[in-house]
Amino acid sequence: MKIGLYFCNCGSNIAELVDPEKVRLGLAQDGLAYFKTYPFLCSEEGKAFLEQDLRDERPDRVVIAACTPREHEATFMRVLEQAGMNPYLMQMVNLREQVAWVTKEPEQAVRKAVLAIRGALLRVALQQELEREELEVASSVLVLGGGPAGLKASLTLARAGRKVVLVEKGPAIGGLPVLYEELFPDLECGPCMLEPLMGELLHGEYAGNIELLTLSELAEVKGFFGNFSATIRRRPRYLDEATCIGCGECVEACPVAGKNPFDCGMGEKKAMAFAFPGALPNLPYLDPALCTRFTEGGECRLCSESCPMGADVVRYQDAETLVERQVGAIVVATGASLYDCTTFPQLGYGVLPQVKTAHELERMLASNGPFAGDPSGLPERVLFIHCVGSLDEGHRPYCSGICCQYAFKLNRLLRSRLPQARIHHLYREIAAAGKEASALYLSAREDPGTALSRYGSLAGLSVREEGGEARVFVAGGESLSADLVVLCPAVVPGEDAGALGALLEVSLDRFGFYEEMHGRIDASSSKMRGIYLAGACQGPADIQRAALQGVAAAGSVLCELVEGRKLRLEPLFASVDPELCSGCRVCLKVCPYRAVSFDSEKGVACVSSVLCHGCGTCVAACPAGASRAQHFTGEMILAEIEGALK
Amino acid sequence: MKGSINARKGEKRRAAEPFEPRIIGFLCNWCSYAGADRAGLAQTPYPPNVSIVRVMCTGRIEPVFIMKAFQQGADGVIVLACHPGDCHYKEGNLRAAQRHALLARVMLQMGVERERCRFDYVSAGEGEKYAQLVTDMVESVRMLGPLKKVSAGGEI
Repeated sequence: MKIGLYFCNCGSNIAELVDPEKVRLGLAQDGLAYFKTYPFLCSEEGKAFLEQDLRDERPDRVVIAACTPREHEATFMRVLEQAGMNPYLMQMVNLREQVAWVTKEPEQAVRKAVLAIRGALLRVALQQELEREELEVASSVLVLGGGPAGLKASLTLARAGRKVVLVEKGPAIGGLPVLYEELFPDLECGPCMLEPLMGELLHGEYAGNIELLTLSELAEVKGFFGNFSATIRRRPRYLDEATCIGCGECVEACPVAGKNPFDCGMGEKKAMAFAFPGALPNLPYLDPALCTRFTEGGECRLCSESCPMGADVVRYQDAETLVERQVGAIVVATGASLYDCTTFPQLGYGVLPQVKTAHELERMLASNGPFAGDPSGLPERVLFIHCVGSLDEGHRPYCSGICCQYAFKLNRLLRSRLPQARIHHLYREIAAAGKEASALYLSAREDPGTALSRYGSLAGLSVREEGGEARVFVAGGESLSADLVVLCPAVVPGEDAGALGALLEVSLDRFGFYEEMHGRIDASSSKMRGIYLAGACQGPADIQRAALQGVAAAGSVLCELVEGRKLRLEPLFASVDPELCSGCRVCLKVCPYRAVSFDSEKGVACVSSVLCHGCGTCVAACPAGASRAQHFTGEMILAEIEGALK
Repeated sequence: MKGSINARKGEKRRAAEPFEPRIIGFLCNWCSYAGADRAGLAQTPYPPNVSIVRVMCTGRIEPVFIMKAFQQGADGVIVLACHPGDCHYKEGNLRAAQRHALLARVMLQMGVERERCRFDYVSAGEGEKYAQLVTDMVESVRMLGPLKKVSAGGEI
């Protein structure tokens, strides 16, 4: 086997300490075909020299003794390719960072260099030609969740010409912000902020690229990056969505009503109803939990009969359906929920009528809420308890990030409706970072009718009812009276986060949110290739952050899943020899990417080359030696060890 | 106790002939190898006794690699991983730590001193730490003296 060595002097960086001639002499017994030096191998002239020399010499393997492979391995692999050689037949030896720059004595440096090159020579002889496999990909994208993150992701992708399937669990899009009439930091109206987006999504120039599936959830997903097959479960709306014009005649006609989930059960809604006033898409939906046709088997047809578009627009016979879509990538934007306040029995939530969550107060104040914005019933003395579950080792150790801002926003809203209100905030920490976030906090602090005080631990707080009012007892004997106690619960993962995570094989962090590829550098990707994250499903987020992450996730999709560009797989993946595999499944357990699956028919493990990142953990774990890491085989590593010790 | 006995042995040996330990360093590509590069960029000198074997992840390191290194004449082995939580592959470093703890027990039973096979964490920024670890490792193996083969037939 003809192995050639190129020794880069790196000017004087390497050659000054590591004399190439002495290295050549040291390797005299090692069967090298040739030993060539060059002043700067990574320069344009150096690369041209290398390419021409490879063409002239036609070696079987190449060792390049130069700088760190972290800097120029890819550079020299490209030169090999240009010279018509397989780029995996090369090994770099790091003589600059790990020998010349750190060794004092030239003699010692030469010895260290010789050992390292010897290891590389033995290793490179075992290296094999590897091909980068290419796969066709589907360029369309599945977006899960129609809140700000999902909307921005969908629109960004659609504007770039991508087909998007947007799956929303509820009957309307917009997420939580469309329910709020005044949003922090500047009291902008939620629907006003989101409606242009939703309008563009439903009827804009690129709406044709977006298929919106409401009342839908992901039921199953198969495949991998570039080639996912998603099955989506659609609950019926009991309406012909294409014909309905959203006039609401059927809602008027409906004779039954129940609790309205959009008003936290405080108001009423009809069985045939809009999700909330102004909900988009502008379609009512029939709630089978309320409609007497479903609850009692009745024959009421009032909604259908009232429809000006025809008798067959309302379709009582509709049933759940499954639809299948082929997509190349998935954006998860399913949002978060709020910590269950009944976890703290001493706070009286769910028992005392004077204790509400901030979300409920928000609905109480809303002009489209259960009290239609009428302030007459509003309480005079309001006490906010911040950090309910947040910053609490026994509950959620993190700061939920948004509660301070919405609490001080609610402070402002109460003040504007009730100038005489007495407001008190009990907080653990105030968190209002960023260029806009502190304005509402500062205005609350300057408000003479608002008091702020700090409490040590939630366990030291209790709320009791005394004479029709709530009394909040603070550890240390102090107590405060209020007509209304408002709890600001921790932001927690959505109820279905675990189940959806398992379905997508996306890992959860220690709090149950979806785990990012890297918390700071790669926060828009999950650890599963082709599955991206946006918004509060990966951690507490305000609208700005959710929307930005939606665009970021779309950007990641657009640059990684390019129409017409085949998916190029790095060949550094693991593979399993079915002849040797005993089916113990240890590799399945240790793989951090769920790239290993078990073929129960053959009783052996197999690795997906798309999902495998090439860490080799499964290879080291395999007790049968059946698992193999391409380009990092046991034989190669052992040969390198042998060479370094010769 | 054992360390001090060996230290005396080592000193005696050194008096007779200079002993230069040969050490294999398994470094993960992402943190520790980059940490070693960082020491180079800072031109921080350290002893030349460690030969580096680069792996993509310390989770790839099979116990047999370490045994073979000893068998072929290494006096010490050092495994350097990304810090917990920093693994490029989520948790390969923790697997390596687990395997190291098990292997260290086996090695001890075979009469190989604990100091000869070390595991530590080096981040991409910790050039100084890398240089210091290598220096310490070389010194402690130098004190122990060369690894003795404990059985015939080339077995450790």
